[in-house]
Amino acid sequence: MKKNIHQQIRLALADENLQIALDGNALRRTTGRRKAIAALPDYEQRRARAHAIKAEIIAHLDEYASQFAARVAENGICVHRANDAGAAIDIFLQIARERGAKLVAKSKSMVTEEIEFNHRLEAAGLRAVETDLGEYIVQLRGERPSHILTPAAHLRRQQVGQLFHEKLGVPYTEDIPEMVATARRVLREVFLTAEIGVSGVNFGVVESGTLCLVTNEGNGRMVTTIPPVHVALMGMERLVPTLDDLALFLSLLPPAAIGQRMSVYTTLINAPHRPGDADGPAERHLIIVDNGRTAMQASPLAEALACLRCGSCLNACPVFREIGGHAYLGADGSLAPYPGPIGAVVSPGLFGCENFGQLAQASSLCGACKEACPVDIDLPKLLLRVRAGEVGQKAGAGVGLPAPLKLGLKVFGATATSPAMFGLGQKAGALAGKIVLPGKNYLPLPAWTGWGYSKDFPKMAEKPFRERWKQIRQNIGEKPLEKPAAVHKQDAESAPEVDSRSLGEIFAAVAASTGSRVYRITAQSLIPELATWLRARGIARVSGDSLGAELAASLGIPFSQAPDPSSLAGITGAVTGIAESGSLVLLGGPNLPLSASLLPDFHICILYESSLVRTLNEALALPALKPAPMLEIITGPSRTGDIEMALTTGVHGPKEEHIFVLGDG
Amino acid sequence: MPETVQLFVTCLVDTFFPHVGEAIVRVLNQAGVRVEFAQAQTCCGQPAFNAGLRADARPLAEHTIRVFEQAGGAVIIPSGSCAAMVRHGYLELFRDDPLWLPRAEKLAARTYEFSEYLVDVLGITDLGARWPGKLTFHSSCHLRRALNVDRQPRALLSRIREAELVDLPEPEDCCGFGGVFSVEHPELSAEMMKRKLANFTATGAPTMVVCDTGCLMHLQGGLNRTGKPLSVVHIAEVLNSR
Repeated sequence: MKKNIHQQIRLALADENLQIALDGNALRRTTGRRKAIAALPDYEQRRARAHAIKAEIIAHLDEYASQFAARVAENGICVHRANDAGAAIDIFLQIARERGAKLVAKSKSMVTEEIEFNHRLEAAGLRAVETDLGEYIVQLRGERPSHILTPAAHLRRQQVGQLFHEKLGVPYTEDIPEMVATARRVLREVFLTAEIGVSGVNFGVVESGTLCLVTNEGNGRMVTTIPPVHVALMGMERLVPTLDDLALFLSLLPPAAIGQRMSVYTTLINAPHRPGDADGPAERHLIIVDNGRTAMQASPLAEALACLRCGSCLNACPVFREIGGHAYLGADGSLAPYPGPIGAVVSPGLFGCENFGQLAQASSLCGACKEACPVDIDLPKLLLRVRAGEVGQKAGAGVGLPAPLKLGLKVFGATATSPAMFGLGQKAGALAGKIVLPGKNYLPLPAWTGWGYSKDFPKMAEKPFRERWKQIRQNIGEKPLEKPAAVHKQDAESAPEVDSRSLGEIFAAVAASTGSRVYRITAQSLIPELATWLRARGIARVSGDSLGAELAASLGIPFSQAPDPSSLAGITGAVTGIAESGSLVLLGGPNLPLSASLLPDFHICILYESSLVRTLNEALALPALKPAPMLEIITGPSRTGDIEMALTTGVHGPKEEHIFVLGDG
Repeated sequence: MPETVQLFVTCLVDTFFPHVGEAIVRVLNQAGVRVEFAQAQTCCGQPAFNAGLRADARPLAEHTIRVFEQAGGAVIIPSGSCAAMVRHGYLELFRDDPLWLPRAEKLAARTYEFSEYLVDVLGITDLGARWPGKLTFHSSCHLRRALNVDRQPRALLSRIREAELVDLPEPEDCCGFGGVFSVEHPELSAEMMKRKLANFTATGAPTMVVCDTGCLMHLQGGLNRTGKPLSVVHIAEVLNSR
């Protein structure tokens, strides 16, 4: 039998493993977020701008979506629009059937969770394998994700070790890097054999028709690069107008989500494989999913369509910290597709207040969610609108509350509208307090009252303030005392620090902090340095782009453009580097295989110091980026925090990033 | 001419904690302000509003607006959440009502939380109060997040003679009250209270200061249940102490 929300909450509170996992999640994620935001001096202005941009998109949602769809189609990607979950699945199944696909490699996407993609594919005889580590874990367990961003946030390492032992036949371990290595091995096979790669979309850029994906493990890159067909599913609201706006949102999302300046991989997709391109799927499809969004846009909950799905409101929420994502149940006992504060608005917003309206009552309205939101969604306001039954007429006001509680509030309201009645009520209450447990100030109410579950209730005062007022006034006198000297204290504003370091110095320092190894050398010393580097690791053959080929020739070692399993290192150039985030920007295209920076264990990147820019905005404005079918912004080695948030490198992408920065000398 | 202000004492202070109300009047008087009390005032309507019963909250909001339209001067509310209700909640409640919205906006514009009024409007941080011993401050949610009031009570508390202000761990966490939430989800409310009281205990201070009587009755009720010899007081009680 399905449980109700109250039973599920009690189970969650009694689950010791869950409580430890959730405490860890809340503390580490909120600390990380605060630290990352502190590094953005103009955070509040950015946040306000992002809010305004999203408000504009939401106000004209259909126009922007149509404009975006047209641009994407012009770029050569097949665009489909789906009104609901069923339509989205039908479109996908048709693509899959036409290509005889059996195996689908999937990266994390909330919209696919929302439309129960895996479940429905399975029913149609296809196998969809989740490749994000957290998603993979919950899929193996036959569960739904418990968190928007970190699906296995409810589990501890021992549980994952046991799961891998049972399902994958590997020896039990509590060593997280070992578990990650197992997932890398098993899922690598899936990437290489899947006929279709499926991804979500974090941002669709209206002006350029670009699909932007933000990931850390590298599985998002895999599914969009390796299989011959890529299908992206996207909620129709996931739009930003321009590339410059994209840079703004990319500065807000990773700090909120993972406490980092940039995620490891920011993938920008403009087009499918074109003649001469070194790699990339020959076919790309985009399915734009409505599934209730147009209706929500016309509702008082429209503001929630600004959500970036970063999960920071979940991490900040004191209720989520107690119960996790699996306790957000609808009235019929079904699990809400979106948990946490945002889920308590979006789930009823998209799928009806009748079932999911009660989620909005599981909040103390403390506002930690709004404070944590990188686009400043007023979640307490929206939760109150759900409670008020402003969406879904059938749910009614006070949705989810028991009738006696509603009645009590109604009686109180009616009484308090009349000062005389209110005064009488106070007298009656005070009298009752005198009779029951005389001499005590607090009453030990029984647990069933709700209030009495954990605390006593104060007795009403014998004489309320309103009856004391005259006496107080008399005692104090009409005239106030002389105003005391005002004390003003203004903190002196400190002048903003000017960074006098060169872009090369900044890049090297920041990139090193993301886990990349940086070598600042001269162009002349590159060959001997590389030779030493490869010799030290016993690497005798490499893959890479045209620059890699040139270097391999100078080094006199075998080279292949397509990475084969025996080439442990991929050598590529970068079109630019971003100093403020320590990121590399790599293009796809002819002689530019993006898989060379993805499949090998080591990625070696050659970067000219003269090509560096300071900000992401500057990088995205470079003319050289425009014609690329796909580009990759890489910030550090492939990484995951999906098991107990322990940072582990080398999930699906390279285990190490080595950057040779060539100075002008 | 001394400034005249209206005290919106709130239904909780009126009914349960009248001594807090008296302390507020004395402190304001000390600050050179003449206090008036409109006898017709009752409740701002927040309980019904937060429960989603807007039709029941509306008459109370209208009543409150009418009462204070008849009385001039700044409206002082000794509770962050009630002040947030008047300042923000009323604008939400009347957002589609062209007749009531401007009246709500007028009241919102002259409404202040108690410590905010002392520090931001009067520019006073030292009222000569004395409180021997350790104090810790719970920055309640609506006070800090909805009104952006936090440095004001801290400034006032930092100038209390003989008091040692101790930082509360995890200061941004909700105490678990949340009005109707603590009755609808008592288990969740209890867990959040447990954490808050554990942090309070960890400070070693016997007294926690709040600017919200909702949090006060919730936390003090919890302390009473467990029999812990700690107490929660309203900031006016501390400022009125000599």
